[in-house]
Amino acid sequence: MTLTVTTRPAAGRVAPVGRRRRDRSARVLGYSVPASLVLLAMALYPMVVLFRMSVSDVGPTNIIGHWNFVGLANFAAAVGDPATWAAALRTLALSAVLLVSNLVLGFLAGAVLSEPGRLTNLVLGIMVFVWALPPLVSGSVWKFVLNDNGAVNAVLGVIGIPAVPWLSSPTAALWTVSAVTAWASLPFSTLILRGGMLAINRDVVEAAAIDGAGYWRTQVAIVLPLLRPTLWILAILTVIYSFKSFDFFYVLTQGGPGTATNTLPVLSYYAAFNQFEMSSGATVAVLSMVVVAVFAVPYVRSINREDQE
Amino acid sequence: MTTARIRALFTVVKVLLGLLFLLPLVWIVLTSFKSEIQVLQAPNSVIFTPTLSTYREVIGSSLGAILTSVQIAVFVTAAVVLLAVPASFAISRRLSAGVTRYISVFLAVLLVLQMIPQPMTVIPLYSVLASWHILGSLGGLILADITLLLPFAIMLLRPFAMAIPPALYEAAQIDGANRWRSFRSITVPMMSNGIFTVISVIFISSWGEFVYAINFLPQGTVLPVSGLLASQNTTYAANWNSLMALAVLTSLPLLIVFIVSQKRLVNGLSLGAVK
Repeated sequence: MTLTVTTRPAAGRVAPVGRRRRDRSARVLGYSVPASLVLLAMALYPMVVLFRMSVSDVGPTNIIGHWNFVGLANFAAAVGDPATWAAALRTLALSAVLLVSNLVLGFLAGAVLSEPGRLTNLVLGIMVFVWALPPLVSGSVWKFVLNDNGAVNAVLGVIGIPAVPWLSSPTAALWTVSAVTAWASLPFSTLILRGGMLAINRDVVEAAAIDGAGYWRTQVAIVLPLLRPTLWILAILTVIYSFKSFDFFYVLTQGGPGTATNTLPVLSYYAAFNQFEMSSGATVAVLSMVVVAVFAVPYVRSINREDQE
Repeated sequence: MTTARIRALFTVVKVLLGLLFLLPLVWIVLTSFKSEIQVLQAPNSVIFTPTLSTYREVIGSSLGAILTSVQIAVFVTAAVVLLAVPASFAISRRLSAGVTRYISVFLAVLLVLQMIPQPMTVIPLYSVLASWHILGSLGGLILADITLLLPFAIMLLRPFAMAIPPALYEAAQIDGANRWRSFRSITVPMMSNGIFTVISVIFISSWGEFVYAINFLPQGTVLPVSGLLASQNTTYAANWNSLMALAVLTSLPLLIVFIVSQKRLVNGLSLGAVK
């Protein structure tokens, strides 16, 4: 309300135009102050705390209290621990599955769903519904159907294939959870790529058709190159997502069997909240955030550039 | 342009794609209408006598959880909207070079915040909330949820705020309206579609959030529905029928929003997401 009182006279008074504009334009940012304060206190400050944890010794006994500074000892321990590297490798495996699914399947689904029609709207509606569904819910149903005597194995049994221990075997579990994660993120990549395809100038596509290029030829030679920037952004987001992905792991396997599905976020979460080794959890978190940051820089740049155009 | 063969192929792919996403949903609903005995005897049967016994049982025992969820979702949604609408207004217009610079930094921070994995923010927040003595209280959880969803809400609202023609603001200014007045009578009404989308999405997300809920609420308190579903999931002997009924309860807000206004939500989400 104070804004009301201070700005009102300015409208009627004859003030130097340049100055008035600057005053006003800076004041509009006041509307972002409450949100900024919340984010500073609850999002940015905790990141500082996370970093402090990674260079201190914080265990179950001193979460509140004095933290001893230990320098880079936690990082040395994390880098020396084969479990960290195994988790990093599993995160990469998840990235690979998600990249193939989001880019290749997403492209195909986006192309198919670019064709307008009632069926398209229906399928898109279902996919957006699943995308908006809490991962906890979709994870729960997959846990049920991929259970050793669940629906998937029952269907396989009907066509004579022996039951697969989707979630209970250490070799299969990582691929199974990755596949479920890929299923859940396919609607997003489909929407993004479909948006890109719909934005392509129809004339270009029609010109290719007149020149005798068939459907597939047009897709590969015209649409694919035009979508390259979108595909790049999607690829970056996908890699970042694989460092974020946690909900499906929590619901489906909790990192098990054994440590078979411990990716970096899973590893750091359970270190912090099962063993209350806050420092080692925080250290893995900082390490994986460095990787995320490397991928985030080109993404943030391109969004900002796009925005200013 | 496309030949008949390709068109037929497209239809097949669309149907398969639809089934891939529809069947799991059907399975949740089917199972939630089975009794415990039915699930134990034939977990994969498609033909059975539906019963409401599971819902009666689950809703009866989780009334407190539903109440907790409602409280959390209402408070979080209200706070996020109150914070995000003015913020998106503030960063929607590049009025001067200084403002533009500020907006770029603000946007970059929002993007980066969205990239930070939640299992990693939960670690420092645990100690931050503890040192502020709000760990183990609903207030602390609500504050954490607000922060988690705020960057997304601002990013989602921004295209809507930017779509408002600057000429409207200029006209209002000439008519003597101050900034608060034009925010109230131009920005808010013109962003109503965006605000609707954000209310839906934030309500759905805070209703389904569980990582903060299971860690920031004290042991033995009434968890929200999502927390209940999460903790039931981690026990070994799962009652699939009640688990699926809980899953339906957890997706209830989404179901309602979809029934009320599917088109508005799909459009709003694509506008914010495809950015």
